[in-house]
Amino acid sequence: MRRAVSTAVLTTAGVVVLLSLKPHHSTVLLSVPPVPGASSPGRAAGPPRDGTFTGAAVRTPYGPVRVAAVVRGGRLVAVRVIQVPSGTGRDQQIAGYAVPRLAREAIGADSARIDAVSGASYTSQGYIDSLQSALDRADG
Amino acid sequence: MAVPRSQNNPVTTRFPVRRRAVVLPPSVVRLVPVAAGVLVGAGAAGVLGLWWVDTSSVVGASGWFTGAGRICGLLAGYGCAVLLVLMARVPLLDRYAGTDRLARWHASGGRYVVVLASAHVLLIVWGYALSAHAGPVAQAWTLVWTYPDLLTGTAGFLLLLATGVVSARVARRRLRYETWHLLHAATYLAFFLVFGHQLSDGADFMAHRPVQLAWYALYFGAAAVLVRYRFVAPVRSALRHRLRVAEVRREGPGVVSVLVTGRRLDRLGALPGQFFRWRFLAPGLWWAANPYSLSAPPDGRSLRITVKASGGHSAALAAVAPGTRVWAEGPYGGLTADAARAAGTLLVAGGVGITPLRTLFETLPGDVVLVYRVRRAAELVLCAELDAIAARSDRAVHYAAGDAPDAVPLTARALVRLVPDLAARDVYLCGPPGMTDAARRAVLRAGVPRGRVHHESFTF
Repeated sequence: MRRAVSTAVLTTAGVVVLLSLKPHHSTVLLSVPPVPGASSPGRAAGPPRDGTFTGAAVRTPYGPVRVAAVVRGGRLVAVRVIQVPSGTGRDQQIAGYAVPRLAREAIGADSARIDAVSGASYTSQGYIDSLQSALDRADG
Repeated sequence: MAVPRSQNNPVTTRFPVRRRAVVLPPSVVRLVPVAAGVLVGAGAAGVLGLWWVDTSSVVGASGWFTGAGRICGLLAGYGCAVLLVLMARVPLLDRYAGTDRLARWHASGGRYVVVLASAHVLLIVWGYALSAHAGPVAQAWTLVWTYPDLLTGTAGFLLLLATGVVSARVARRRLRYETWHLLHAATYLAFFLVFGHQLSDGADFMAHRPVQLAWYALYFGAAAVLVRYRFVAPVRSALRHRLRVAEVRREGPGVVSVLVTGRRLDRLGALPGQFFRWRFLAPGLWWAANPYSLSAPPDGRSLRITVKASGGHSAALAAVAPGTRVWAEGPYGGLTADAARAAGTLLVAGGVGITPLRTLFETLPGDVVLVYRVRRAAELVLCAELDAIAARSDRAVHYAAGDAPDAVPLTARALVRLVPDLAARDVYLCGPPGMTDAARRAVLRAGVPRGRVHHESFTF
């Protein structure tokens, strides 16, 4: 019995130590391929052209994210998802709740300057970066 | 009840038994359990390393829960493979770590794996629920029905949990050995069922082909060892030795001896004190392989077991007809003469635990004293043989029936009075757990070093 307790305590302590040694902020290191004509984040002066603009494919640890921005009347009216990580059930589940939220926020903000959805930090960051590159293209 | 086995050393000078296994020097023998432990620990460290390399950050409560769940899951998956190897009855491990030590490792390892798997399930459901902003129940539902291989994984987990519960000490006492054995075999199915989701949902495996291959290698390796020693070996041994029941003899109330003959039995390499797992190919008996110790030193022509009726299997043995075919899996057990360190020996047998000690009583070198305890004098068996051995080789046997006024109590003082140089001897114990525990405490108190008390308990 005593050994069972000490094993449980040791295991728990070990797991907690391992977890606590990891960084506790999102360290998203994404590589965004340079997009021709890409400018600083945010919208350039002047309304963007209408049309559908495909963003860059942004690599995340779970797979690439790529979206297209649909611009009508100078405003972002829709974001189409071309590619999100979907290799596993978890990926699909994350995409299932994160993507609609991100789209809603981006359309509401009319930009890619939106917050990441918690629990989907990689996918959010990939989404934001890809959308930004699409909007840059619309501006360009 | 299964007969406890004892460990004896083979006395190869007196019994020209060909030994199959290479005999390791004692210093190496002592290292076998240590080396096994180090190997298992190194594997666990490797698994943790896998998680470490693959995890860049732990963010928020969901990150902590998911991370902890992932670590528990990885360790549980690794533990399943280790458990398979522990129960594969690898001769080297069995002989030098001891069957009962392996069984103890397997039992505590099994409990650990069941707890880790349970923690994994709870933490992952909780962590995913937090990150998905869903309730734990809804999240569990989503996981089971939409994630790949998780329906089978859940079935496997529940099976593992059920086996863990029936294997728990308390429940086991109320089960027949045969029932327990069958339920336990269900763990193979459980391991198979949970394997799929480890690779298809495990974040540390998904995108890493080499890691996947290593995991496959771990499981296929464990399965190969298991098949080799638990399926191929008994079949090959059955074909080679063609064992048959030669005689069934009544030894006492509810106790029978079964004499088995076959071909080339010297090649089995069985030693006094060892046991086999016996499968009698008779109606109602063929499906269970029960462990019974040899009750006579193997002479190369026949093997004898002495069994007390306590479960369905042992009771049915009395009715086995001569000529019945037998599969014997073994020999197993490290309670042989190899374990002895000193020149003299005290053997303490309880009830039908006499069987392996009777062979040791005859074959151990040096001065040997046997204390044979039973609850009632009527339960004493094999007395004629024991008396003959005692007379022939000038060894002492003390019968101690619980209902007799002169019974030797299992106290340090009584044992030392019986064997004044007890502290300088090896002690072999075999019997029901209560008796062996009491005897162990008594001889330790009498000054016998821990390493010289040899004991293999035989509660399945």
